[in-house]
Amino acid sequence: MLDLLVIGAGLAGLTAAYTAAKAGLRVCVIAKGMGTTHWSAGTVDVLGYYPNSSAEPVQRPLENVQTLIEAQPEHPYALLGTAQLSDALKAFAVLTGEISLPYAGAANGGENLLLPSPAGAPRPTFLAPLTQRAGDLSHPDPFLIVGFRGLGDFFPELIAANLCELGYDARAAFLPIDLITDRQDFNTVQLATELENRGRRSRLAAELKRLVQPGERIGLPAILGLDDHLAVLADLQAQVSASVFEIPTLPPSVPGIRLHKALCRRLEELGVRVEAGMEVVGFRSGGQARARFGSPQQVEGFVQSPIPNPKSEIRNPKSLLWVASETTARPLKHHAANFLLATGGILGGGFDSDYTGRVWETIFDLPLTTPQKRSEWFRPKFLDPAGHPVYRGGVRVNKQFQPVKADGAPVYENLWAAGGCLAQADPIHERSLEGIAITTSVAAAQQIVGSGWARGGRGSGSLR
Amino acid sequence: MKRLKTEILVIGGGATGTGIAWDAALRGFRVVLVEKRDLTHGTTGRYHGLLHSGGRYPVKDPDSARECIIENRILRRTHAHCIEDTSGFFVVTPEDADSDYPDRFKAACDEVGIPCREISVAEALRREPLLNPRINRVFEVPDGAADSFLATHATAQAARAAGAQVLTYHEVVDLIVQGGEGDQQVVGAKVLDVASGEDVEVHADLTITAAGAWAGQIAAMAGCEVKMTPGKGAMIAMNHRVCNTVLNRCKMPGDGDIIVPIHTVAVIGTTDEHVDDPENLRIEPWEVQLMLDEGEKMIPGISQARVVRAWAGVRPLYQETEAADTRDVTRSFTLLDHQERDGVAGFLTMTGGKWTTFRMMAAKAVDVACEKLGVQRSCKTASTPVPGVDQGHYWLGHRLHEVEEKRLQGELVCECELVTRAMLENAARQNPTLTLDDLRRDVRLGMGPCQGGFCTYRAVGILHEMAEGGDWRLENGERRMENGGWRVESNLHPPFSNPNLLLRDFLQERWKGLTPILWGRQLKQERLDELIYLSLMNVDHLPGAELSSPLSDFYLFDTTPGEETEASDA
Ligand SMILES: Cc1cc2nc3c(=O)[nH]c(=O)nc-3n(C[C@H](O)[C@H](O)[C@H](O)COP(=O)(O)OP(=O)(O)OC[C@H]3O[C@@H](n4cnc5c(N)ncnc54)[C@H](O)[C@@H]3O)c2cc1C
Ligand SMILES: Cc1cc2nc3c(=O)[nH]c(=O)nc-3n(C[C@H](O)[C@H](O)[C@H](O)COP(=O)(O)OP(=O)(O)OC[C@H]3O[C@@H](n4cnc5c(N)ncnc54)[C@H](O)[C@@H]3O)c2cc1C
Repeated sequence: MLDLLVIGAGLAGLTAAYTAAKAGLRVCVIAKGMGTTHWSAGTVDVLGYYPNSSAEPVQRPLENVQTLIEAQPEHPYALLGTAQLSDALKAFAVLTGEISLPYAGAANGGENLLLPSPAGAPRPTFLAPLTQRAGDLSHPDPFLIVGFRGLGDFFPELIAANLCELGYDARAAFLPIDLITDRQDFNTVQLATELENRGRRSRLAAELKRLVQPGERIGLPAILGLDDHLAVLADLQAQVSASVFEIPTLPPSVPGIRLHKALCRRLEELGVRVEAGMEVVGFRSGGQARARFGSPQQVEGFVQSPIPNPKSEIRNPKSLLWVASETTARPLKHHAANFLLATGGILGGGFDSDYTGRVWETIFDLPLTTPQKRSEWFRPKFLDPAGHPVYRGGVRVNKQFQPVKADGAPVYENLWAAGGCLAQADPIHERSLEGIAITTSVAAAQQIVGSGWARGGRGSGSLR
Repeated sequence: MKRLKTEILVIGGGATGTGIAWDAALRGFRVVLVEKRDLTHGTTGRYHGLLHSGGRYPVKDPDSARECIIENRILRRTHAHCIEDTSGFFVVTPEDADSDYPDRFKAACDEVGIPCREISVAEALRREPLLNPRINRVFEVPDGAADSFLATHATAQAARAAGAQVLTYHEVVDLIVQGGEGDQQVVGAKVLDVASGEDVEVHADLTITAAGAWAGQIAAMAGCEVKMTPGKGAMIAMNHRVCNTVLNRCKMPGDGDIIVPIHTVAVIGTTDEHVDDPENLRIEPWEVQLMLDEGEKMIPGISQARVVRAWAGVRPLYQETEAADTRDVTRSFTLLDHQERDGVAGFLTMTGGKWTTFRMMAAKAVDVACEKLGVQRSCKTASTPVPGVDQGHYWLGHRLHEVEEKRLQGELVCECELVTRAMLENAARQNPTLTLDDLRRDVRLGMGPCQGGFCTYRAVGILHEMAEGGDWRLENGERRMENGGWRVESNLHPPFSNPNLLLRDFLQERWKGLTPILWGRQLKQERLDELIYLSLMNVDHLPGAELSSPLSDFYLFDTTPGEETEASDA
């Protein structure tokens, strides 16, 4: 039997799976989709702005996180504390080294980097992949932002104009897209694959060399190779004799996909299967069966399925036995000693909602802190610095990262939660999406490892 | 101050006003039209999308029904490309099964001259498989779906071609009235050029108000009382074409009893609430709930589908005596001759009616204008197609076909609504553009499921290249690269063409129409849009935060759902 079934294949789910597998647990990841990594900039944002303030970016997130915790004692970061936060991020940086996708932070350790966004605004982020780091706005080198005629997802003049306005030295130029592809219908992922071809890369390099002035660094849309991107970057820089960096684009995000793929590959090496296309539609706990969707007969099926270990059920009426996922062919039951919920919040699909104002967690119907009234969900301004209350709600967990009921008791002894589904944070407004995903999932996985529930723990009577 | 002189001044750039400008210009008059915002900013851009067959009115309002079927036939020729020939069903749902209305309806249609045929429930279900299988009877009438944005632009284009001057973002702030008590005459209007802030005086021999629900406000500027009864109606657009035929319930018209398939969506509507101010367009939660509940009666399950947007319009209802219920006010139109009525010469008001009857309303108004100006010229609009009709009726696959045929996939700015870069550039070149919302009305930018998630950024990037793709950056004393830029002539208005302002305004504009219906999958979609604009782009930290456009405040109206309230009179 599995020690841990992770539900959700976003950054939180994959990081948790990695942490647990490294500690020797038997782990499997199932997910409906791929998580939000495919849409994001591919950086690790830990804390970019204090909630409620749109002003200056946070400079030293690990230290400044204390201020956040004091103001919001229920924030997920408050469950961790600075040391644990910093260790988790270090562990993640080490992991990225292992998977040939090295992430690093500012030269001044502990500071946020500022990198140009695809709109030309400075994005505060804590760790960035190698391909993005030469965009560091704390360096004075002038920018040459190069776009491609025909690539509608990247606007070099807009980026350069805004950078100039903000006092950075920048200019823009265009190259024809047919340097890179012959296709009519392409997206950034296809372009990235095309640039793994040496011939195309050299043609691009020759044109860049012609454009660039001494001392300039070249910003390109994030399409510099997919799997082989380190070689692509090194080759381009060598041929152009200038530093080259990527600016993330509209989804699909090549840097995000690289990270997702590399993490999945690493998990495979560790013997962890990552299965996408598996939506969890029901579960069985010691005391309760539940299924979403489907006809009553199917629900019946779940209820009547033989229980693998009837004894443990009796001993632990509040534990989960299995979850059922729906694949194209048939429902599948996944038994495990522990379950980690990493389905994200509203964005990841972990929560759903309807016009009556109800918001619910889609698998276990866990209690949520989200306001259950539509009149309390939104603020009138889309870009309100305080964000929209509906997105701040989520699953409340205890210090062990177990979802809890109103009275503070765990909902199930062997259920844990991490990442975007956690309550009391708006990771998009705070620019803490990856930071929360990584640190809470490392911490939750460590809790599971230490809980005695894994690896025969069930039989050995070491339950709390 | 700028001065303009003309024969006819038209106030209002909705269907009626542009129709009048077109008609009058075709009859050889010099015409100036002023609209305070963009064309179709008023009720015309906030309606339901139905080309009436008249089927909604034969029992209660036969005159109005008759006007509809006449105009239905004419507009199919003059504005063919703005119309989708969907046909329409009147269905008897179980709730209405006991009524004698269906038989009265059929008889009244015959009487008025609306082609109406009873078809079998089986045939109706074959054509509309999602229709409630428990319906009892179905009648088919020649309803259609009409794109009022496109139609108004085409009409305006025709008017311009015939010599009319169409000035958008020109707001009438006062009428110029001469003469004393009992012998007054309107000789033009004081107008504010909203974009430049400049005052403009338009002098005209005759002023015609076509300001819809705002007609009362304009008339008051000449001291005339025109009592409008603005009736607000809310509509919601479902993400799918749940039907391809217009679906009406066969009963006395009421709330939420019609679903119109238009372009990529199906629109359920409407409510009818008396409001005091035609600008009060707030949608209450009960209205949304009512639309969904009523929609269920015709298409079971519709309330579970994704809703992409909600909006509300105000019916320009007019009655000389006060009506108790706005649904009881005639849907026909009214021409007020203020010389006869109030002793103020040189001034007409055309109001009421429907989108479907705008051409007829224009014809009547210009007929009277001819009398007033002492000339005899006959109306030509019924036989003059506007530009674009050669495309034939609209059909859903139209844009996709074009994109595939011309291999424009790489040029798409908006995948949801298949807007290409060329379409956008063209619109920005041809029509005065203060905000992306103006382009949205031109090309359906941001009207798909992602509500601007992807196209806002792309459109801003393109407009920026159009407006400023020149030698704007001389940072290191160097001009732009030779092969850079797309610089295209455009109709953008600096300083409002600042890309960061365009971006913020449009994000807010789309947000405003979303909050009333944001839940479920659309909420998830909106969160993705936040990810894009905050996490990825950091647009809330772009320069120019202090800039605003004439529309910025309008987009900032609080539309978030209020506490649950009941309908005031429902
Ligand atoms: C909810 C609803 C649904 C409807 N559905 C349908 C339908 O499906 N089919 C149909 O045929 N009809 C329908 N109608 C009716 C139809 O939409 C209207 O009758 C029609 O659009 C009115 O057009 P208009 O040009 O007279 O008015 P408007 O479109 O309102 O135009 C008036 C214009 O005057 C401008 N204006 C106001 N004040 C000033 C000023 N001071 N200076 C300059 N300009 C000014 C406004 O900005 C506005 O653009 C519907 C109406 C409503 C409310
Ligand atoms: C024929 C037709 C087809 C359409 N098809 C689509 C479609 O496929 N997809 C799509 O997205 N949209 C569609 N629309 C709607 C369109 O996107 C706009 O919503 C519509 O044109 C109104 O413009 P708006 O949203 O800017 O209006 P706004 O007036 O900005 O309305 C947005 C919201 O603000 C509220 N509001 C406005 N003024 C006030 C006020 N003073 N106080 C309080 N609340 C206020 C309104 O009630 C509404 O909830 C269609 C419209 C028409 C007429």
